[in-house]
Amino acid sequence: MRRRVFSVLLSAVLMATALTGCGGSADTADDAQTAQESPEKEGAGIAKEDLKVGFVHIGDPSDMGYTYNHDQGTQKMQEDLGLSDDQIINKFNTPEDAQCDTALRELVDAGCQIIFGTSFGFEDYMLEVAREYPDVQFCHATGYQAASSGLSNMHDYFTPIYQARYLSGIAAGLKTETDKLGYVAAFPYAEVISGLTSFYLGAKSVNPDVTMEIQYTNAWNDPKKESEVAQALIDSGCDVLSQHSDSTAAATTAEKNGAWHVGYNADTIAAAPKASLISACIDWSIYLTEAVQAVIDGEEIPADWCQGLSEDGETDTIYLSPLNEDIAAEGTQEAIDEAEEKIRSGEVQVFQGPLKGVSPEGEEFEVKEGEHFPEQEEASAPTWSYIVDGCTVVG
Amino acid sequence: MNTLLDLAVAAVLAGTPLLLGTLGEILTEKSGNINLGVEGMMFMGAIAGLAAPYVYEQCVLGAGGRPLGWLGAVFALIASFLAGALGALIYGFLTITLRADQNVTGLTLTIFGTGVGNFFGEYLSGRAGGYVALGDEVKAAFAGISIPGLSQIPVVGRLFFRYNWVVYLAVAVALAMHHFFKRTRAGLNLRAVGEDPAAADAAGIDVARYRYLATVVGGGLCGIGGMYMSMVTTSCVWVHDCVSGYGWLAVALVIFAAWNPARALLAALVFGGLTVLRLYLHIPGIPMQIYDMLPYAVTVLVLIVTSIRQSRENVQPKSCGVNYFREER
Repeated sequence: MRRRVFSVLLSAVLMATALTGCGGSADTADDAQTAQESPEKEGAGIAKEDLKVGFVHIGDPSDMGYTYNHDQGTQKMQEDLGLSDDQIINKFNTPEDAQCDTALRELVDAGCQIIFGTSFGFEDYMLEVAREYPDVQFCHATGYQAASSGLSNMHDYFTPIYQARYLSGIAAGLKTETDKLGYVAAFPYAEVISGLTSFYLGAKSVNPDVTMEIQYTNAWNDPKKESEVAQALIDSGCDVLSQHSDSTAAATTAEKNGAWHVGYNADTIAAAPKASLISACIDWSIYLTEAVQAVIDGEEIPADWCQGLSEDGETDTIYLSPLNEDIAAEGTQEAIDEAEEKIRSGEVQVFQGPLKGVSPEGEEFEVKEGEHFPEQEEASAPTWSYIVDGCTVVG
Repeated sequence: MNTLLDLAVAAVLAGTPLLLGTLGEILTEKSGNINLGVEGMMFMGAIAGLAAPYVYEQCVLGAGGRPLGWLGAVFALIASFLAGALGALIYGFLTITLRADQNVTGLTLTIFGTGVGNFFGEYLSGRAGGYVALGDEVKAAFAGISIPGLSQIPVVGRLFFRYNWVVYLAVAVALAMHHFFKRTRAGLNLRAVGEDPAAADAAGIDVARYRYLATVVGGGLCGIGGMYMSMVTTSCVWVHDCVSGYGWLAVALVIFAAWNPARALLAALVFGGLTVLRLYLHIPGIPMQIYDMLPYAVTVLVLIVTSIRQSRENVQPKSCGVNYFREER
């Protein structure tokens, strides 16, 4: 009998340790009772001290990628607005399923007046909860349905990361010796394809002979698959890789093979000093600050928000991590700076015609000479989903 | 031809961590314990295998010296084995001594090990202020080896003599384990314990000792499999959730290999090959989801075939999942 009790105890200890290890998804309803004090009216605004801001994340900042980067934006927003720690409630490691719904409702119960969801798959859950709580503002990164939903408290936001991808592609185009780039892509859909196309177009702008091979991992974070895909790309002759996936596996695999790498979301030079050239990054704090300030002032948040390089450079929402000067091709920084100025002034459009592409469904698409594709101009979410000439999807 | 060579090499690299996990689980199950905590033990091995050379490197660098790559690799090997063994020891204590339910304990160990791996991974990342990444010396120790002469032979050299050392270790362990089961007295005893612990007990075999040893060594092997994930697959950089479910594949592979270490070699190669097939062999018109299904579809096929053949040799040991309690004989 005593043994039984002991074994139960030991299992309990195991479980408890494991839960702590899972990484604090539990800032939960410490003050669920406070609930919603005085539901504020549109235009009335809210005192800064009464404000509560909620976040639902698919991962946690230890991914050193997407969630880390977004959380950096949160911290900057908190600093800029002078909010205290207990006014920010994070729900980390929330999967894109019914747990998202639960997390959103817990945030509403905890008294949040504005809630941010940062993963694409949260959209349907956010729409449903937004319909039930018209007084709470819901902002969704990478989503596309806010405007068409007709809900005044549902908003989409994103940044034209394709501009940064384009610039980072310049580093790859100048570096490649085989004139063949490789791209470790997560899923075949618009956000990924828009990113890889702009990366390729950036490389092509400085190296007209360059081609690119794309392989999908079919997962956001699967380090083993990412390293296998990276290896396959290198085996087929690619010497500069880029990625739309979460881990550093592509960068380190490139390093192992003496190839190079251009990153996304995080500066990976520390992980792969001999391979990592530069990374395209997003500064989320600009939007977060704007949206939260709007709630404080009682102003409306636009249904679609998308800003990129600003004309004066004050509110750039995208940027490039420092260039790895030791390994980058000569003149890379100058070429990037020049292109950046042209994008700022509007002289260069990333999706500039003539462009010809085919969607994964086989639909053909053409942008004519002298025209450009209005990527993220009408809606905040990327819509370019065509594989252009020069890029091949393998497998 | 070149593509086939690339595919073969990629298959070996993809199969190796699975092979180590599978061997560990085969050894464990041969003793009558089903340890479903492979994923957890791999996580523990992954972080220990990275942390040990990291700490070593920091100490040496702090003292102004230059770390030795091979020594870092030895630390990684020992630490990952011990970490996996520690996980298995917890499991063994709960199931063998306290006779807790094997399935539940194994599942708990998975959750526990995943938490331990990610917790310490994050802790180290936090301390390092970003990535936990090892230096060139240790990274080089986990790169492919080069044997003068042999590695340079066309095709054959690439196919056999250029992997990282963990691959050769895994193959050696598989062959040694095969020999152990088939040709040694202790191996026979272990199999007897797994098939019928009561009979083994009556024959004077110490059931608890065999079960403990097999489980702990098996866990250690899973730990080395985890080290492969953090040191080879993600190249000496800690990646959050780096094992990401491959421990479970190792459990599936035990069935695929029909509890036979020599067949595990083949099974891991086929399984590894099927997981990377899509990246090298492109048949137009077949969606990638079909490719991704292949390893699992083949596992189901193997299950069906083995169940039709009804061989007594290549099945799960009979006492698997049942704790032995002498008083209940």
